[in-house]
Amino acid sequence: MLELQRNVIFGQFVETGSFVHRMDARIKIIATFLFIVASFLVDDFPGFALVLPLLVLVQVVSRIPLGYLLRGSQFFLAFLVFILAFQILFYQGDVPESDYLWRWRFLSVSTGGLYTAGILASRVILLYYVTTMLMLTTSLVDLTNGLELIFGPLQRLRVPVNELVLVFVIAIKFVPIFIEEMERLARAQTARGVPFDEGGAITRARRIGRLLVPIFISGFARADTLTVAMNTRSYRGGRYRTKLRQMQASLSDWLVLALIAAWLVVAWMI
Amino acid sequence: MQPDGKTPILELKDFSYTYLEGTPRASEAVRDVSFRVDRGERVGIVGATQSGKSTVVDSFAHLLRLKSGQVFYEGEDVAAPGYDRGRLRREVGIVFQQPDSQLIEDVVGADVAFGPTAAGLSASETRERVEESLNTLGLPYAEYRLRYVHALSGGQRRRVAIAGVLAMHTPVLVLDEPMAGLDPRGRRELLDLLIRLQRDRELTLIVCSASLTDASLLCDRFVVLDRGTVVMDGPVREVLREADSLAELDITLPETVVGAREMQKLFPGFPTELLTEEELESELLKRLETA
Repeated sequence: MLELQRNVIFGQFVETGSFVHRMDARIKIIATFLFIVASFLVDDFPGFALVLPLLVLVQVVSRIPLGYLLRGSQFFLAFLVFILAFQILFYQGDVPESDYLWRWRFLSVSTGGLYTAGILASRVILLYYVTTMLMLTTSLVDLTNGLELIFGPLQRLRVPVNELVLVFVIAIKFVPIFIEEMERLARAQTARGVPFDEGGAITRARRIGRLLVPIFISGFARADTLTVAMNTRSYRGGRYRTKLRQMQASLSDWLVLALIAAWLVVAWMI
Repeated sequence: MQPDGKTPILELKDFSYTYLEGTPRASEAVRDVSFRVDRGERVGIVGATQSGKSTVVDSFAHLLRLKSGQVFYEGEDVAAPGYDRGRLRREVGIVFQQPDSQLIEDVVGADVAFGPTAAGLSASETRERVEESLNTLGLPYAEYRLRYVHALSGGQRRRVAIAGVLAMHTPVLVLDEPMAGLDPRGRRELLDLLIRLQRDRELTLIVCSASLTDASLLCDRFVVLDRGTVVMDGPVREVLREADSLAELDITLPETVVGAREMQKLFPGFPTELLTEEELESELLKRLETA
């Protein structure tokens, strides 16, 4: 049977009570940001190779099972392979004749193409990994509070930080809800004779297309309910909101951040 | 299997199910649930939320990743390799709690026709089935055939969902919380309809609910679930006799039973297995006379 929740873990939060989970959300967000910047600045394999042990460390400390993460990244990885195939086959760089490994009309495989694709893959995987890890280890409330506090100063410039963060967080957290909803719909439609659990990949993909209209309808209904609920509770964003639980970054949090920053600078310089 | 009618039409044997098994988000829904449903029986599966009712319902039509040896239809293991799931789903009709999830087409007529068409019926047979089902549910065919599904009211959408399942002429009809969201008149009508249908078509009827109000008039037998296990299984009156335990399980009791429990304060030993107001009244009169 269709079990999308196994295959798409984007936006999910898995509590393991690890050190990574207990870290201050702001520190985690800034660290994620540093990783993202690094993914653009680092431009050779030794640099990425140096980032890798750091990711392994995060993975081990977070106690999120690797198998769960990999299975939940299937769609992402499949998509990445697809993109990379294009990147390699249509590579249009300045390639000396001796670098071509294979050639047919306008398609080719060259060492230059492979190298660029490899760098691109490393970048995208790093980006995907750190953002997924941030969401897996940070609850919705912490993520919202952390983002609001980080971007809070922008409120003086009349940037509606609160509202922007809210929209961003809701958008991310709606993903798992939609996935669950799709599963429910698929089950109900299977019961009526649309066999979601049979047929090849393309037939299955087409059937998922059938779920789009009901998903949109329920999505709008959900958004509407959320709006009414927030209005009836007199929600208003911005600086009028106060927090019951104040965030406190500990010394170890700052040390971790400093370590990550230093490590990434080295990876960039190398 | 002998076709002597002794083989239960549906049977669960030590059925256990865990959602997202093997992941950090795994959650156990039911554990070692066993019961059987005989052909033509009217069974109520009752329990509070999170008791595992919906998981049990989904297992009947093999809508989960079932392990073999746990769910049987007409004596056959539905999870056995090569088992014809399509046929199973044409024989076990399910009306889900939220009607919207099972409406496939945009237009009422087309939606009700979906099942029969997918099952390979001819256009004229399909048309006949659609007309019959819609009329049965009080949605006149000529008037509703071309109506837009999502523009209907909640109660009407539920009727369309039921019509879509009825049009399949399944020997087994499963309804998950069929009365939710209906007004008293709608409930009354649906109740009468289900009683009539079950009798006329000799259906095996399974009704899931957290409330015994309507289920006690519709079913002959209750299987009571609590946190994923079967805690009671017996004829309706026998189960209602345990009114105190039922109330503890957060199951809504019929008004007659609620009244009877109040009477117990005045008359110790007052029976709770009362289905109608008449029964309650006569029982009360009996006590008043002796008092």
